[in-house]
Order: sequence, then structure tokens, then C-alpha cells
Amino acid sequence: MFNKYNLVAIGSAVLLATGSSAVMASSQADYPDGNIKILVAAGAGGGTDNFARTVQPMLEKNLDTTVMVINLPTASGAIAHQRTANSEPDGQTLDFASSTYITSLAAGQNPTGLDQLTPVARMQSDVMTLIVNPEKYEDFDAFMKHAEENPGDVVIGGTAAASPDKMAFLNFQEASGLDMSFIPYDQEGSVSSNVLSGNIDGMFGEISSIIGYMDSGKMKPILVFAEERLEGFPEIPTTVEHGWDLTDGNERGVFVDAETPEQTVAAIESALHEVYQSDKYQDYVSRVHLDYRDGWMGSEAYRQALEEDLEQYKRLLNQQNGQ
Amino acid sequence: MIDSLLHGLAVVLQPMNFLILLSAVFIGFIGGALPGISGVILVVILLPVTYGMEPTTAFMLLTAIYASTVFSGLITAILYRAPGTPEAVMTSFDGYPMTQRGEAGKALGIGILSSAVGGMVGTIALIVFTPMLASVALQFSSPEFFALAVLGLTVVASLGGSVLLGLIGAMIGLFIASVGIDPVTGTLRYTFGNLNLASGINLIPIIVGLFAISEVLKRAQGNAPHQTVKKVRIRIFDGAILKKIRATLARSSILGVGIGILPGIGASTAAMVSYSEAVRWSKHPERFGHGEPEGVAAPESANNAAAMGALVPLFALGIPGSGTTAIILGAFIMHGLQPGPAFMSGNGELIYAVFVGLLLVNVMILAFAKPFVAVLSRVLNVPYAALGPIILICCVVGTYSVQNSMFDVWLMLGFGVAGFFLEKIRFPLVAIILGVVLGPIAESELRRSLAMSQGDPSIFFTRPISASLLAVAIVVVTLAIVMPLVKRYRRGANAAS
Repeated sequence: MFNKYNLVAIGSAVLLATGSSAVMASSQADYPDGNIKILVAAGAGGGTDNFARTVQPMLEKNLDTTVMVINLPTASGAIAHQRTANSEPDGQTLDFASSTYITSLAAGQNPTGLDQLTPVARMQSDVMTLIVNPEKYEDFDAFMKHAEENPGDVVIGGTAAASPDKMAFLNFQEASGLDMSFIPYDQEGSVSSNVLSGNIDGMFGEISSIIGYMDSGKMKPILVFAEERLEGFPEIPTTVEHGWDLTDGNERGVFVDAETPEQTVAAIESALHEVYQSDKYQDYVSRVHLDYRDGWMGSEAYRQALEEDLEQYKRLLNQQNGQ
Repeated sequence: MIDSLLHGLAVVLQPMNFLILLSAVFIGFIGGALPGISGVILVVILLPVTYGMEPTTAFMLLTAIYASTVFSGLITAILYRAPGTPEAVMTSFDGYPMTQRGEAGKALGIGILSSAVGGMVGTIALIVFTPMLASVALQFSSPEFFALAVLGLTVVASLGGSVLLGLIGAMIGLFIASVGIDPVTGTLRYTFGNLNLASGINLIPIIVGLFAISEVLKRAQGNAPHQTVKKVRIRIFDGAILKKIRATLARSSILGVGIGILPGIGASTAAMVSYSEAVRWSKHPERFGHGEPEGVAAPESANNAAAMGALVPLFALGIPGSGTTAIILGAFIMHGLQPGPAFMSGNGELIYAVFVGLLLVNVMILAFAKPFVAVLSRVLNVPYAALGPIILICCVVGTYSVQNSMFDVWLMLGFGVAGFFLEKIRFPLVAIILGVVLGPIAESELRRSLAMSQGDPSIFFTRPISASLLAVAIVVVTLAIVMPLVKRYRRGANAAS
């Protein structure tokens, strides 16, 4: 722990020392004018935190400044969004968030709307899948058959009550017309242990998190939320081939205060794009199996995609509550 | 397996690895001893450092820190009633009264021994039974967790002191636990539009406030008993005490491993349940809370055993058993390792090196804890006018760092003031903690169970594990109500004759 204090002390000394050089550099370029703060809308150790901490040193190098990472896990990251929206609009407070931002917004758990934040770029797009215990369901046809013949009997698990998992469930339920129920768990581990033990019928999640179970035949993705079958998994059917227009997945991106000038947003976007294209970043992407589809999306396109998602999720949640 | 362990030993004894293991133990000692700095935070801080290391070295470092913080939380819990980690809360209930009686050395000795014993039992279970235990853990689903939480809550009835105050305390705890986003529907409860309350009230501000801050306030008043001991003599191996606590040690260690392997239930719950059981099995339950040695031995052996147990589902199934192991799981993925059922067979060298490392950590706890604690306990001689503010600062910094939240600091101070006044009326703070820790488990698992069964409550009685746990709970409550009546009746009969 004394180590930590020392680190802080050394860190602040470094900040003082580098502050002056950053000011000198700013005469050449407008951005960044000082140190950058990354607010992670999630706790330490998870996917979003790993994403932020992977990007941090690369941004530091590309922008020649100091980048700090602060985790604000409170209220599914709502505090991180709020703090970003209230920050100086200089593009030096970056909000690293996942799709939970938009799902919690749709559920009314997060007051910071898309009018208060500008999406800078999406850098990761994972593929949602329906995962089952192969002892219970051999493939998607077997699952569909059971669910159709036993309305109300199928129980699906996921993390949290307003999560990407839940939205995938609502989307899938609406598209397929099946009568199923959803149980939210606090942790991903609890969901997978309930699938492994056969206590629930399946779960929504990403392939990357269950590769170990697939190799040993304990879990199996039987439906991918994608337009085309995934390269490494040609045997798994897609939603689109069943006639359902669902391509959800957990996405991770970067946001800034909505009042940030356009040029600054563009400057951050290009810095992030440079990071995205680097070998080092792509190496991380393939190491954590986030390479099933292209993660990059620029500011404008990302905003549009998020607005569409928000409308859809709001509608699904209203429908659920209306029942 | 012996081969693999010897191979693991060879890996651990490589100079660089051994050095890292040693430093990990010391970092863990210091971090665990500081209130508010838990194993989770230390592991998170050191996570980026490990990215540059070999996976084997990295995971020896992380697991060693994890194991040693669980141990060292007891030091400040016993000496200052400022539990260094949430796992050590229960330890302060009997450890601190012993210090006030001038028996700090005895309490610390029991704590160190119990930690090491619990840790070893846990590690051995981890090495020998991992594949088997993991499949047992999978038998536990929502109905079983609900039954376990109910059983834990029933101990309020046998805690000693006023049963009515105990019940009120548990209710307060349950109420605090209900603040935040509803775990099933996602509705906001008791947040009053304050975002800081949306994810509920964190355990750390409650514990640090109720125990550490209230004690600082009490001591500041100046009428608390003064420590007269100038030198704390720690005796780890004491025949008489060992004889007294050995049954508790054995029971709590096994209970700790058992609870630790359950996914999502950590060492804090294990400490709580084993303390409850120690009270229940004791011939003198009324002595608990007033400096009973078994009250130190039970939670300390259980939390260390549970910490190791929590690694069982992580290694065998890739499912974390607790908060810290969830972060270690994330670290596996960042190192390009794929946790899951095939993890053990594919990464034997790494896993056995980690196992051997953990065994050594528990040996090191026995060897180094005494000098480390001796140095820390010298601090007892520092005048409280200087020590109190230092404890206060540690509490503020530690609480802030959990979620980088100033709101948590204010909450903690609020709980401190509340704890100060509650203690004046001899309110059982332990009951509040019971409610806070077990409430969320009981509530969300009850609702999940009913969702699993489409609303049919018979799910609790048709599943064997849940049915037996609930039956025990019912027997316990009935006995707690009936026994005093029987005693009173007998006394009445005796008086009449």
C-alpha cells in the first residue's frame, strides 16, 4: 500500500514535470492541451477496464501526453457518464463505456442522455450468442422445438436487469415469438455455472467468454446474432438466416462531453483510429477474441447506431412492462 | 500429482519467482492491515504490473497477494477494531475485547495460527479435490443459496444479548441491503434520485464506519479502557489454547472451504457463517463478543480456508468464487489463457506452481507474521491523540479508493457516528452486518428460485440440499425459542419444590 502512495507521489511529480512540456507542445497542435483523464464506466478487471488500460499507453505515445485511468463503477457507470458530461469541453476527459451505457439509459437508470455526450468512436463490437448446455439441447432446432412445445418452461440467464444480455433476450423473444423467462444474475460466473449444471436452459453471452467450455464440450453457442455465419464457426446458424434482423452484441467505445468542439472530436477520433489500426492493439483484439467482426465505427455512424439501439430498447422495455 | 507438485516447487524456487512471492506476501501484509485496502484493490493495482511477466510468475504474485491480505486484515481488527479487510470484521468482535483486556498477544497468536491452519486446509483441499469439489459446487443453484442465507440469518436468535435488538439490527441490515437497483426488475429503490445510491451501499463504508470510526470517536471521548500493555507478547503455539480451539479450528476450516467453493459467495460470508456456528456449538455462547478465543479462531480459519476454496471453481470451471477471484479470472484472459473445464489439463505447470506458491505463502504467514505484527503492535504505545487521526486518515483514503467515490466517504463517516451511538445502547452491530451481507443473497436468490420454478415455492423443499438447509434453520429457530422457555419452566419447578 505504501507502494501505492509512493506511486501517487511519484506520479504527481511526473505530472508536474511533464505539464510544462505539454504546454509547449500545445503551441503546435490544439489537442491535447494538458493531461488526459480516462473515466472507465466499469469496475477494474472487466472487459471495459481491460480495453481502457490497453488503449491508455498507446494514446500516451500517440498524443505525447499523460493519460490517467480512473474507474467509476458506481451505478453501472452512470457516475462516469455524468462526470464526463459535466467536464470541461476540451476533449481531455474521455468516457470509456460499453453498451451498458445505452441499455441503462433505456431503462431509466442513467440520466446522461445522448444529447449530453458525443460518441467519438466505437472500437469493439462483440457478437451476441445464445449459449446452451449441449447435454440439454443438441442444436438450435432442438431448442426451438422444446421451447415451442413447452411455452413458459424455458429459462434464460444473463447479467443484470438492464444489460446487453437482457436486451438480446427481449429482442430474441419478440422476433421468435417464444414464451420464455429471463433471470438476471449479479455475475457472469453465476450465469455460466447455472447453465453448466442444467439449472437453467441457456444464456446470452459472447463466444469469447466461453471458449474454454466449448473446447471441452460443456457449453455450446447455438445461435449467433450476425448477418453471416462466423468464420471460425460455420456450423452455428445466424439470426438473420432465420429471418430475424438482430445483430446485437456488446460494444465498447469512447465518449466526450457534448459541448466539445467538432475539431477536437475529430482529433480524438483520429488518434483512436491510429490506436485501433496499430499491430499492438490488433494483437490484443485477437488475444481476447474480439475479432469476429470489425470493431471500428466513426463518430457520426456510432451516434446513429446508438440512437437506433436506444429507441429499440426503450420500446422492448415498455412492451415488457406493459405485459 | 506428486511429480507435478515437485515440478511446481522447482518453478517457485527459481530465484526471481521466489523473490516475487516473498514481496507479494509483504505487500499483502501491509495492504491487508490497512483498513479499506482489501485484496481486491491490491490485485487491481498490481494487475497492470503483471502484464509484462510470465503468466506463471504473474499468477503466483496475484494469488499470493490475495492469500496474504485475507490473513493480515486481522491485525488491525484485533488491535484497533479497524478491520483491515471485510473478511476480518467478525474477528474484531472477540479479538478487540481481548486487546482491551490486555490479551492482544494471545488474540494475535490465535489469529495467526488459525489463519495459517485455515489457509493450509484450504490449499490442500484445492490441490487434492479441485475437480471433485467443483462438481459439488455446481449442485448449488438459487434455492440452495437462499437456504444458506436463511440459515446464516437465523443465528441472530442465538447470538446472545437482546434477541429483540438483534432482530432490529438484522432488519436494519436487510433494509440497507435493499437500497439500489432491484436485482431482478432493475427498478431503483430508496435512491432518492441520487446516482451514488443506484448501485447500493458498498460494504466497505459500512464496516469501516460502524467499527473503526465509531471506535475512534469513543476513544476520543477518553473514557474507554486504556491499554496498559507496553509490550505485546505473541504466542502462536500455546498448548492450552490449542486444546481449547482445535475443534473450532477443524470445523471452521472445513466449513470455510465448503462455503468458499460456492460461486459468488466469498470469504466474508464464510467468516460470518463459521462464527455463527462457533456460537451455536459453544457451551458458553454468552461469552462471544466479550473476548472468547474461539470467536477469533472461527472466522480467521474460515476466511483463509474460503479464500483458497474460492480458487477451486476458478481453476476447475473458470467460474470465480468471489470478488478477487473474478479479477484474477480477468487477468487470465488478458494473459491469453482460456479458463474453463479444460484449463487444468492444459496449464498444469502454471497451476501446480500456483498451488505450491500458495502452500508456501501459508508457511510464510506462520514464519513472518510474528515479527511483522510485533512491529505493528508497537504502534499501540503511540498516544491515541496521534494514532486516532492516523486511523481516521487511513479509513478515509481506503474507503475513497474502493470506488473513487467521495460519497462513500461521507457515508462511512455517517455510519461511524451511527455506530458510536448504537454502541452506547449496547446495540449488536454484528446483526446489522449479518443483514447487509446475507440480505442481498437471500432476496435475489429467492426471486431467482421462484423464476426458475415459474412461481412454485415447492422448489425449496424438493431439492435435497436446499430442503436440508432450511430444515436445519427451522430446528435452530425453534430451539432458540423453546429452550429458554424450558429452562424457565424447570427453574420454576425447582423453585416450587
